[in-house]
Amino acid sequence: MTKKTSRALLSVLIVGGTLSVLLARSVREDSQFFKHVDEVMNTPDAWYGKKLQLHGFVVDQSISWVPEKLDYRFTVKNGDQTVNASYTGVVPDGFKDGAEVVLTGKLTPAGFVVAPGGVSAKCPSKYEEQKRAGR
Amino acid sequence: MANLGTFLILAAFVTASGAFAACLAGARTRRPSLVQGGIGLFHVITALLLVASSVIVHAFVIGDYRIKYVQHYSNEEQPLFYKLASYWGGLDGSLLFWATLLAVFGSIAVYVNRDRYRTLVPYVAATIAVVQMFFLFLLVIHRNPFETFLTTAPATGEGLNPLLQNFYMAIHPPLLYLGFVGMTIPFAFGIAALATGQLDDSWLKAVRRWTMVAWLFLTVGLALGALWAYEELGWGGYWGWDPVENAGLLPWFTGTAFLHSVMVQERRGMLKIWNVSLVITTFFLTIFGTFMTRSGVVQSMHAFGEDRELALMFTGFMILLLTVSFGLVIYRLPLLRSRNELDSIASREAAFLANNWILLFSAFLILFATMFPTLSEAVTGERLTVATPFFNKWMTPVGLALLFLTGVGPLLAWRKSSLENLRTQFLWPVLAALVFTGGTWALGVPLWGSAICFGLCAMVATTVAQEFIRGASVRQRTTGTDLFTALVGLFARSRRRYAGYIVHLGIVLIFLGFAGNGLERDEQVGMVPGQQLSLPPYTVKFKALTVTRDARKQMITAELDVLRDGKLLTSMYPARWYFDGRENEPTTEVALRRGFSGDLYLVLAAFDVEKQMATIEARINPLINWIWFGVGIMVIGTGIALLPERALSFATARVPEHAVTTTLLLFLIVSIGSTRLRAQHIVTPESAIIGAPRSDLEREIHKEIICMCGTCGRKLVGECTCATAAAMRNEIAALTANGKTRAEIIDYFVKKYGSQEVLGAPIDKGFNRLAWLFPYAVGAAGMILAAAMAFRWSRRRDEDRAEDRGDAGIEGGTPTMAARDLEARLDDELRDLD
Repeated sequence: MTKKTSRALLSVLIVGGTLSVLLARSVREDSQFFKHVDEVMNTPDAWYGKKLQLHGFVVDQSISWVPEKLDYRFTVKNGDQTVNASYTGVVPDGFKDGAEVVLTGKLTPAGFVVAPGGVSAKCPSKYEEQKRAGR
Repeated sequence: MANLGTFLILAAFVTASGAFAACLAGARTRRPSLVQGGIGLFHVITALLLVASSVIVHAFVIGDYRIKYVQHYSNEEQPLFYKLASYWGGLDGSLLFWATLLAVFGSIAVYVNRDRYRTLVPYVAATIAVVQMFFLFLLVIHRNPFETFLTTAPATGEGLNPLLQNFYMAIHPPLLYLGFVGMTIPFAFGIAALATGQLDDSWLKAVRRWTMVAWLFLTVGLALGALWAYEELGWGGYWGWDPVENAGLLPWFTGTAFLHSVMVQERRGMLKIWNVSLVITTFFLTIFGTFMTRSGVVQSMHAFGEDRELALMFTGFMILLLTVSFGLVIYRLPLLRSRNELDSIASREAAFLANNWILLFSAFLILFATMFPTLSEAVTGERLTVATPFFNKWMTPVGLALLFLTGVGPLLAWRKSSLENLRTQFLWPVLAALVFTGGTWALGVPLWGSAICFGLCAMVATTVAQEFIRGASVRQRTTGTDLFTALVGLFARSRRRYAGYIVHLGIVLIFLGFAGNGLERDEQVGMVPGQQLSLPPYTVKFKALTVTRDARKQMITAELDVLRDGKLLTSMYPARWYFDGRENEPTTEVALRRGFSGDLYLVLAAFDVEKQMATIEARINPLINWIWFGVGIMVIGTGIALLPERALSFATARVPEHAVTTTLLLFLIVSIGSTRLRAQHIVTPESAIIGAPRSDLEREIHKEIICMCGTCGRKLVGECTCATAAAMRNEIAALTANGKTRAEIIDYFVKKYGSQEVLGAPIDKGFNRLAWLFPYAVGAAGMILAAAMAFRWSRRRDEDRAEDRGDAGIEGGTPTMAARDLEARLDDELRDLD
C-alpha cells in the first residue's frame, strides 16, 4: 500500500467513524417507536415515558374541544384497544371523526399526551388507497 | 375509446421491445439498416404514447366516467384546468404520463444526437427502450389507466381531492416528472459509453446539457411543491421531510454533485468512475424514489396505500438496473483510469471533491433516515422512526458546509493555489463573512444556524461579486468597451462559469430564507369579534366570522384587520372551505401578506359559528420569500448556461459597442413598466379605501363579482383596491339602491362583460394565478425579441469579430501585473471550459 492510499484510507476511516458514531447517537436520541394503539395498550406499563408515534383511528364522536384554548380530547382506536389522547394546538385539515392519525408524544397513566404539532392526519394524496377506486 | 387506449399501450410495449432488439443487434453486428429500423421503431413508441395520452385527456374532457380512472379523479363541476391535471392525478395515469414524457425526451435526444454520436445513439435508444418497457409493462399488466367498469358505470366522478385543486399542485408533479424522466437520458448515454467503451469526454458533452435541463425541472418542481405546502396546508412551513418530499430531493443531490464533478473530468481528466457512477446513481434514485412513494414500503403521511405486487416489480427492475450498470462499470474499469492525481488540498479539484462527498452524504443520510422505519423493522422487529428534528439537526451543518464550499470553491485555483493567490482571493469574502456573522449575532440573532448562515451568505455573495468585478474590469480594459458590454462579454466567453455564479447567487438567497426560519414567531388566540391579538409589529383585530357559499363549496371566513403602529394596513380573510360532496375534508385557506422582510401568515385554526368565535393562528415567517426568489434566480442562471453557443456572441463582437448597454437599458425600462403593471396591488394596498357595503346584498355581491380591470389577478370586487373595482362597487351600490335583486345584478354584470368571466365562483384559483403570470409572459416575450435582435446583430458582424480577437490584447494599453495575471488565469480557465 502506498503512502498516499494509506493516508486517504485513514482520513476516510476517521471521518466515516466520527460520522457513524454521531449518527448512531442522534438516531438513538431522536428516534421514536412507531406503534399501533393495540400494540401499546396491551402492555401500557412498558411504554410509559417512551417517545411514541401512535397509529390509530379517531373514534367517532369522541372529539371534544375548548375552542378558546384549542384544547382537544379524543379517543384513538386500533384493533380492539383504545386510548384517550389530549392535545393543545392546531390540528391538521384531515383531523376528524374516523380519521386515520399518527400521534407523536408520550403515554402516561392518564392517557396519551400529544406533543405540540404532533397530530398528523393521513395526508390526502393523489394516490389514494385502492379501496376507494374499487368502490 | 378505452379499448383503443389499452391497445395503444400494448402496441407501445411491443414496439419498445422491437426497438430495443433492433438497436442492440444492429449496433453489435454493425448493420446500419437494422439500427435505422430500430430508431424508427423508437420514434413510433413516442407517437403511440402521445395518442394514448390524448385518448385519456379526451376522456377527462368529455367526462367518460366508464373509465375507472377518470371516474375516480374527475367530475363534472371540476374546471377544465383541473380536469386536465387529473391526468397525472393518480398512480395509473402518472405512470402513463411518465412513459409518454420519457418517449418524447428520448426521441428528442436520439434525434438531436443522431449524427454527432453515431456510435452511441443505438445504445442510448436501446437503454431508453428498456426503461420504457418497464413502465409499459407496469401499465399493461398491473395498472392500466384505461380500465373500465364491468358493470354499470356511475353517472359522475368523485373529483380530484380539493386540496390538490391548486395551481401549484397541478403543475408541480409534471415538472417533477420532467426532472425525474430527464435524468434517464444522461443515464442512457452513460450506459452507451460504457457499452461501446468510448469513455473519453465526448459522452459527457452530450449529457451535460440534458442533466442541466432535468436538474432545472427538478429544482422548480421541488420549489413549487414547497410553495404549495406553504400556501395550502396551513402549517406555516414548506418542507416536512416526508418520504415523498425526500424522494424528490435524493436525485437532486446526486444530480447537483454530477454537474460539479463533470467539470473536474473536463478540466483534469479525473473522477471518471465517479462521474459514471453518479449518473447511474441519480437515475437509480429517481426509480427508487418512485418505488418508495408508490409501493407503500415506507410509511408516509401521504396515503399511498400498499401495493406489494408493484413493490416486487420495482425491486426486480432495480436489481437488474444495478447489476447491469455497475457490472459494466467494473468491466470497463481499465478504461476509466484517471489521467491526473490530486495535487493539493488547496485546489479547486479538492473543493469539488469535498462538495461531491457532502452532496452524496446528504443523499444517503436522507435515504437512510427515510428508510429507517423499514430498516429498523427488518432488523429489530420494532418500527422506529426518526422525525423532523433529526433531519434538521443533521441537515443544518451539512447545508452550511455546502454553502461554505460554494464560497470557497470558485476562489481556489485548479491544481494548486499559491499563498499569494489565497490571500488576494480570500481577503474580501472572509472579511464579509466575519462582519455579517458578528453583526447579526450582535443584533441578537442566534449564532448557530442563523447568524453563521447570514455570514456565509455574505461570503458567497462577495465571492460571486468579486469574480464578476475582476473579470469584467479586466475584460473592459482589454477590449475597451463599457462595463455592461464587458459583463455580457464575460458570459459570452464563459457562459457556464458565470451562469453558474448566478445559480450560486440564487442559492445564497434560498439560504437567506432558511436562516429566517430560525427567527419565526407565532401566536394562537381564540377571539370573539372586537378582540385582537398582537404579534409585533402587527396587531390583528377580529371583526366577524361569515358563512358564505358558491356553486361548489361552503366557505367559513374570518374577517381580520391588520394594524401596524395603530394604522390599518390591510384586511385579511383566512378561511376554511367545505367542498360539496367532500364536507368532511375541509381545506384551510391561508391569508398571506407577503413582504421582503417576511410574511404575515394567518390561519383560521378553529371556529364556532354560533358563538362567532374564531381561533386565529398568526405567524411571521421572516425572509421566506427569498427562497422563491432565489429559485427564480437559479432558473435564470441555468437558463443562461443552457443558451446555445452563439446566443451571446454579439457581446464579443466589437462593432455594436454600446448596443449591449442600450439593449439592457431598454430592457430595464420595459421590465420596470411591467413591474408597475403587476405591482398595482402589491405596493399600495392601502391606497384605495374600500367603502363598506351598505347592505347585506351589497356585501354578498362584493364577494361574488370579480374586478374586471385585467391586471389585479381577478380579485373579488370587494377586496380589490384598484379604480375599476371602485367603479364596479359604485355600480353595485347604484343597482341595489334601485331595488334590483341579486340575480338581476349578476345578470347585469354578465351581460355587460359578455361572459361569465365576471363571476368569481366558477373560475377557480388556478386561472386566477395564470392571470398573474401574464406580465411574466410579456417579459419573456420581450427577452426573446431582444435576444433575436442581438442574434441578428452578431451574425452580420461575424467577419469583424475575427479581427477583433486578434488585436484585443494590444489595444488595452499596458495592464498592470495583477490584471495581466488575472487575465492569464481567466483565459487559461475559460479556454477549456466551453
